[in-house]
Amino acid sequence: MLDEANRSSDSLEGLREGIDYRFSPGGVTRMVYPLIRRLLKKKVLSEAHWVALNPHGPRTLRLGGMTLHNVSIDESRMEGYGAVKEAIWGRIHEIDATDTHDDLFWTEAFSEYAYYNRVTAELIRKLDEEHDFDVFYIHDFQQLPIGHMVGGLKPKVFRWHIPFDASVIPEQWRALLTTYLDSYDVVIVSTRKYVDSLTALQPKGTLLTLYPYVDPDDYSRPDATRVAALCSQLGIAPKDEIALIVGRMDPIKGQDFAIAALARLAKKYPRLKLVLVGNGSFSGSAGGLGMSKSGKWRTHLELMVKTAKLDGRVIFTGHLLQDDLDCLYERCRFALVPSVKEGFGLVAVESWLHGKPVIVTKAAGIAEIIRDGVNGLLFDPEVPGELARKMTLLLNDRSGPLRARLAKNGRTLAKKVSLDAAEKAEGDMLRKVVES
Amino acid sequence: MSALTAVWAAFVPYLPAVVIALLTLFFAWFVSFLVGRLPKRGTPQMSRAGRTLSVVVVGVIGGSLVLQALGVSPDILFLIVALLGATTLVALREPLSNFGSKYFSDIYMPFKVGDTIQVQAFSGKVIEINAMTTILLSENEQLVSVPNVWMIRDVVINTSPQAWKELSIPVSISGNIDLPAFESDLLKTLSKLRTRLDPRFPPVLTTKARSPQSTDLTLTLMIRRPEDRDSITVEVNKRLTEVLERVRGVRR
Repeated sequence: MLDEANRSSDSLEGLREGIDYRFSPGGVTRMVYPLIRRLLKKKVLSEAHWVALNPHGPRTLRLGGMTLHNVSIDESRMEGYGAVKEAIWGRIHEIDATDTHDDLFWTEAFSEYAYYNRVTAELIRKLDEEHDFDVFYIHDFQQLPIGHMVGGLKPKVFRWHIPFDASVIPEQWRALLTTYLDSYDVVIVSTRKYVDSLTALQPKGTLLTLYPYVDPDDYSRPDATRVAALCSQLGIAPKDEIALIVGRMDPIKGQDFAIAALARLAKKYPRLKLVLVGNGSFSGSAGGLGMSKSGKWRTHLELMVKTAKLDGRVIFTGHLLQDDLDCLYERCRFALVPSVKEGFGLVAVESWLHGKPVIVTKAAGIAEIIRDGVNGLLFDPEVPGELARKMTLLLNDRSGPLRARLAKNGRTLAKKVSLDAAEKAEGDMLRKVVES
Repeated sequence: MSALTAVWAAFVPYLPAVVIALLTLFFAWFVSFLVGRLPKRGTPQMSRAGRTLSVVVVGVIGGSLVLQALGVSPDILFLIVALLGATTLVALREPLSNFGSKYFSDIYMPFKVGDTIQVQAFSGKVIEINAMTTILLSENEQLVSVPNVWMIRDVVINTSPQAWKELSIPVSISGNIDLPAFESDLLKTLSKLRTRLDPRFPPVLTTKARSPQSTDLTLTLMIRRPEDRDSITVEVNKRLTEVLERVRGVRR
C-alpha cells in the first residue's frame, strides 16, 4: 500500500518501507511475492504481471522484476464486493451459524462482487492481448470467478488459500462454485484434508495439495540492541516471559483463547505477558475495504483484558515492520497460533525459523504436519483449559529440553514449507500445466 | 463553368433514381431500426433475422423503383431474382435444408454444445453444431455427424440431467459497451425473477467469442417449473434489452 504522496510513483525504488509504503505483513502477498521473485530469478518465469485490487495504489508499478497492476472500482461497488467477500469468508470459517447466507448469490451486493471480478478479468484479458501470457494463476477465494470470466483456452490455475470444508457450503452455492472451479485446469489447496473435501464438488481440473511457504532469507536474527530498544518501547521487562501471537485483529485468529489462557496462568506465572502483533486485514481496516471488524475485535479483546484484570499483561502492538517482528520472535519464549480456523498457519513456520517452539490449534491446516510433542504442541480450541495446559508445559521447561527439541524439529520441518520446496513444487506444476 | 453545366445536364435525368436509391437506403435503415425496437417475444437471432428480412424487402422494392425511374422495366429485376433463387434452391437443396435447420435449431431445439442427446439410433455428447451438421461424441468415443435437418424432422431427446431447467440465451453486445457494468446490472435485474428460477443456480454469463466490434455471451438460467419456460424467456429478453439500453448510455 503506497502512502498518499507516492501514489503517482511507478516504482518502489528509492522509496522507504514503513514511510513511503507498507508491505503487507501476511496473507497471500507474503507468500506469493517471494515465489514470483524467485521464479523470475531462476528464469522459470520470463515475465510476470500481478493484478490486484488496490484502490490506493498507482495504476501500475514495477516491483522486483514484475509489473503490478492495481484495480480500482467505485467506493459504492467496493462496499458490495466487500460484503460478499466477508460473507463467503464467514461461511467457510463458520463465523455465524445463524446466518448461512444461502441467498448470497442472488443479492444486489453479489452483482457488485461480480462487477469487481469482471473488471479484473477484463484487465487480465487486455494484458493478455498485449503480452500473450502462458498461464493465469488466480489466488484466493474472492477471485474465484475470474477464471470463468477470462475464458479462452489458456491454462488457468487457482489457489484456494483459506480452509475448504464442503460440508459448510450451502446447497445454494454449490452449482455456481462448481461452475467457477470448472474453469481451472488445476485447483490448489493447502492441505490433504481440503483436497478430500473439495472432491465432493467434483471439479473438472486436477486437484493438488501444495503447502504454503515462506522465504527463510526474509527472517534474520536481530541484534540485541534493537531487541532491547523495542522491548523497552513496548514495556517488556528483561525478566518477562513472552507468549507471542502474530495475526490480524479478527475473531477467527482466536486471540481471545490466549487471553483466557493467560487469565488462568496469570497468578502462577507473574512474569508471563501476551504480545499481540497485527491490526486489520485489507478488508478489516479503514485503509482497505473499510469493514470495521478489526476495530470491534480489538475493543472486545481490550474489554476482556480489563475484565480479567490483566492490565499490563497483554500488549497490543498493531502493525510492525518485519525487523521489529524479528525482534519479538527473538525475545519470545514461544509463539501461539490459537485460531478458531486457519487455512494453514505460516506463523508457526516463522517461529521455527527464529528457533522458537509453537503451540498450534488443531483447527489450523498446518496441524496436519505437526506431531504433538515432537515438532510443536497441538491443542483443541473446543477443550477449555487445554491451551493453558500446553503453555504450562513450555513455561515449566526451565532448563529448556522440550523447547529446544520442538524448535529443532520445527526448523527441520520448516524446510518442507520453505520457498525452496515451493519453488520446485510450484515450478513443476506450472511447467506441467503449460506444457501438457 | 460550361463543363460543370454539361455534367449537371447529363446527371439530371438520373436524379430521381439517385434520390430514390438514397431514400431506399434510409428507409431500409429506419425499418430495420423499428423492427429491432419492437417488443421481443423471441430470441436475439429472431430479432436479427427480422431486421435482415425487412432490409431485403425494402431493398427489392426500392431497387424496382430505381429501375422504373431509369426507364428499365422492373420485371427484369424480379425475373433475375426469381431465377437466381430457383437455381440456388435446386443446386443447394440439401445444404440449404441443413443450414435452415441449423438456424431453426438455434432458436427452437432444446440442446446445446455440451448436452447429451439422442436422435434416431444415435446418441452422444454434442461437441459441435456447425452450419450443416451436429457432431456427437458417442460413448465409445466415435464422432457421429448428424445432418441438422434430422434435428427438425426427427424426435431429439436431450438426456442431460436437468436439461429441461436450463435456459441458454445468446447475447451479443457491442464492443464499446462496458461489460462489467452490463453484467452487474443484468444480475441485479434478474435477481427480481428469482422466485421463478431455481435458487441453486444463479444466472451465469459466459463469454463465447470476442472481436473489437462485439462480444458474444451466453446467459444461462435454470427455471423452477417447465411451464414457465416461454414466459421467462420473454421476460429475460425484455430485461436484457432494458439493461442494454441503460448501459449504452454509459459507454466505456
